[in-house]
Amino acid sequence: MTRTDMNKNDTSSTRGGTGGGLWRITTARIASQAFFFAAFVGLIAVTSYVYLADNPRLISWVSKLLEIDPLVGISTALTTRTIYSGLIFSLVILLLTIALGRVFCNWVCPFGTLHHFTGWAFGRFTTKQRIDANRYRPSYAIKYMILIAMLVAAMFGSLQIGLLDPIATIHRSVTIGVMPGLQEASPATFGDIRVYHLAWLVGLMLLALVLLNLLIPRFFCRVLCPLGALLGMFSRFSLWRVHRDKDKCTSCGLCRTHCEGACDPDTSLRKSECLVCFNCVDDCPHGALKFGYLPPTDTQVTNPDLDRRKVVIAGLAGLAFIPLAKAGGKTTKDFQSSVIRPPGSVEEQEFLKRCIKCGQCMRVCPTNVVQPAALEAGIEGLWTPVMNYRVGACQLNCVACGQVCPTGAIQRISIEQKLGVGKYAAAGAIRLGMANYDLGRCLPWGKGMPCVVCEEVCPVSPKAIYTEWRQFVMRHGKKMITAASAQTLTLAEMPHGGQLRPDPTVLQPNSLQGDDSQRFYVRVHHASGTTETHRIIANSVDTVRIDGAFARVPGNNDIAVLLNEVQVPIIDSARCIGCGLCERECVIIGDRRGVYVTAAGETRSHGYGERDRSIRLIK
Amino acid sequence: MPQDNRPQQPAGPHGEGPRPDDQGMGRRDFLKRVGAAAGVAGLAAAGYVTLHDPTGEAGLAMPPPIRLPNYFASVYDKFSASDPRLVIARTSGEQTILETVRKALAPMGGIERFVQHGDVVLLKPNVAFDRAPALATTTNPEVVAAVAQLCFGAGASQVLITDNPIEAPQNCFYKSRITEAAQRTGATLMLPSSSRFRDVEIRPGAPDPTRNEALGTWQILYEPLRAANKVIGLPIVKDHNLARGSLSMKNWYGLLGGRRNQFHQAIHEVISDLGYMISPTLVIADGTRVLMRNGPTGGRIDDVKQAGTIVAAVDQVACDAWCYENLLERDPARLAYLEYAEQKFGEGIGEKRFGQRDWKAYRDRGLITEV
Repeated sequence: MTRTDMNKNDTSSTRGGTGGGLWRITTARIASQAFFFAAFVGLIAVTSYVYLADNPRLISWVSKLLEIDPLVGISTALTTRTIYSGLIFSLVILLLTIALGRVFCNWVCPFGTLHHFTGWAFGRFTTKQRIDANRYRPSYAIKYMILIAMLVAAMFGSLQIGLLDPIATIHRSVTIGVMPGLQEASPATFGDIRVYHLAWLVGLMLLALVLLNLLIPRFFCRVLCPLGALLGMFSRFSLWRVHRDKDKCTSCGLCRTHCEGACDPDTSLRKSECLVCFNCVDDCPHGALKFGYLPPTDTQVTNPDLDRRKVVIAGLAGLAFIPLAKAGGKTTKDFQSSVIRPPGSVEEQEFLKRCIKCGQCMRVCPTNVVQPAALEAGIEGLWTPVMNYRVGACQLNCVACGQVCPTGAIQRISIEQKLGVGKYAAAGAIRLGMANYDLGRCLPWGKGMPCVVCEEVCPVSPKAIYTEWRQFVMRHGKKMITAASAQTLTLAEMPHGGQLRPDPTVLQPNSLQGDDSQRFYVRVHHASGTTETHRIIANSVDTVRIDGAFARVPGNNDIAVLLNEVQVPIIDSARCIGCGLCERECVIIGDRRGVYVTAAGETRSHGYGERDRSIRLIK
Repeated sequence: MPQDNRPQQPAGPHGEGPRPDDQGMGRRDFLKRVGAAAGVAGLAAAGYVTLHDPTGEAGLAMPPPIRLPNYFASVYDKFSASDPRLVIARTSGEQTILETVRKALAPMGGIERFVQHGDVVLLKPNVAFDRAPALATTTNPEVVAAVAQLCFGAGASQVLITDNPIEAPQNCFYKSRITEAAQRTGATLMLPSSSRFRDVEIRPGAPDPTRNEALGTWQILYEPLRAANKVIGLPIVKDHNLARGSLSMKNWYGLLGGRRNQFHQAIHEVISDLGYMISPTLVIADGTRVLMRNGPTGGRIDDVKQAGTIVAAVDQVACDAWCYENLLERDPARLAYLEYAEQKFGEGIGEKRFGQRDWKAYRDRGLITEV
């Protein structure tokens, strides 16, 4: 038997265990795994703005797998001293573990199922190889050290469990690392193609973790998984466990053939490692293994493979992470203006106490504006959501990201709260940041060209971008008057000292007529020192005709200055909410935009002392 | 699939009697194991239920803001209707600054009226910049030393000195020689550090800009204010580019933390709010030398006028109006924050003051004395 079906429903004569009938406990387990994996796929699939808009009752379900994750519940309790909203459901898994052991790992966890499946489908082990591969190894204690380091870091205010928590990891990996590829293959099935910053890194992590099953079966679950470690800590108390009847056991070792947890059922069962997969019970040819209530303690290893040294080393690692992560000052003095958080996000340090990097906000966002951060928010902020207004913009009447956030890093705000209307009028709109003009890059400001797309798209009412007509002297716009009437001027180039030839004329017939978006003026500098400015209504290559008449007809050798008038956009700092639509729509594309949003002015930090990044004293 | 699978056999192949396995499974062991599981489950459940935050609001709740006590309340009753509210003392001849300060306090009953035995007195000089005393950007260290000495003489158990300067605190206190003044008199410096700040409620709710209000709740250098039961403001009288004058109310700027750089968007609203925020025991303005131009940083000795004046006051509006007119030589009618302050002090903490805000009226009624 080189490979058995995951189902173990082959009728091998060596089978004893719970009986060889049609119904096995492992069948129920596989059904459960299939159910929860399908649930995961289904929930990821419906976590789209379009779908949830039509099916609002599903909103409270789409992050349910994250909410039942006790590592999320307990670690956020350490950082925030609270258990947010639906995270209370993780108590169910905790109590289940205290009763039955780590059933979550092999009955529920979709990431565990992925690794289980990979090992089953691609593991090239003979029975003997499998028995060897499923022996407990000291390296399996690493996950407990990872857990301790992460919990110690959490106690001091940095939530890093999301890096390795299996539920957060599989959500993030699928949203960022898998979906874009599927969308590329079939946008009709999987939706429009999304882009995610550093998606390859997230995808590569998933690929590496899956491939590592070929080296060590369930490598992630056995060596790395901090949730498994947490449940292992609780499963030491479990009332039921797999128990070996010494009288029936012949120590053949076959129970390890498909042992998922590498928990040594053939000797003393490691309670904290056992994933309760029941394969050993199934595989035992002598019926020596049973799932029993309070079996004797001398046939078990009760506690995780931890000693004081490992605990201290792991604790110190977690402790050392805090100053190393915080010393960069990215949440305080060196806060990066590009760290613009989704609407409803809590203040940055509070945010990093809550965000588990699951990517649900990125998945649900209708515009793809929510992106995983690289290191701009510090090492702590890796893969936390930030807004990228070159990719998308924050939809004015949308608060989907907060609705799906399982930990309250993005709060469940209402549209009224986001816009600061109704009973939130006194508090004002939630401001993600504020837009700024780069005066050299903006077409009207820097080039004298008509544009103001930004004003047009500004969704705030009244608009946060207003315009003002500004006059700019045209290139080569300074001319000498050679003849004039009450309404017309004949112009010649200014004599240029030292130059052989004057500048060429820039006038084309009637190029200065102007329109709604651009007007042209001529300003006459009389020899007396007075000036008068008139709008141009027509021109030839060397004459201009003005609207109205000159107060004083210019004389020869008076100076005429041709002026170009366009609307320039200006930000109203009291109204701009930092949604970024102006930046996304700015015509200066493929580079830094002429208008761009920074986090300066954000409302989420208001009232946090030195970390307050609001701009206005009067809000 | 839970099932009762405890070994049933009374005897095993190991010999006579019960197996060693079974010996461990007595009633005591059973209770221990089930009890441990139930205990952990109960603790987990209790923890979850206790910490549950259904809306996310509990997790974001900030500690309730602190309100400052009225540091003038205990002195209020000791004032009679005819006691001066403002005393101007000029140095004459070889008088030391200590003698001048004592002279300024005498018509109000001396320091003993303000400081009693066992009091902890907080002195708040202006130490905003890293400048030598001669440049008149920081309170004269001799004034600080004189007031500290008088407080100790009146029986103060401790004299604290604090300020939250613009530049590095250590440097500012050292260069202004206030560190040395503290060492000389036995006063204690309390330099600002992040742990010493707390959110203080200046007024409940959001400020109303239409009533010239700018501050609601703000980070304040609270630790020295909590430690003290008397607060004496020791401003220096100087020019200020934006506010026109930096006087007794502007001096409280140095008690604030947070984003103070926003104050310049509404400087007169903020300065009058600062006066509204705190009700000091006493204010002693340092007009020994006055920075007439290029304030508040100064830096040129030519900008400094030797004025030889100490102004003691229990009324910040009167103090600032008098100093602005007589020391900075400008028209106080054009100092907007004085008007705002008069509006604001009429309510709330104003009850604990004297009701009369108009310094000209004080002079008419003989409540201003020059010595």
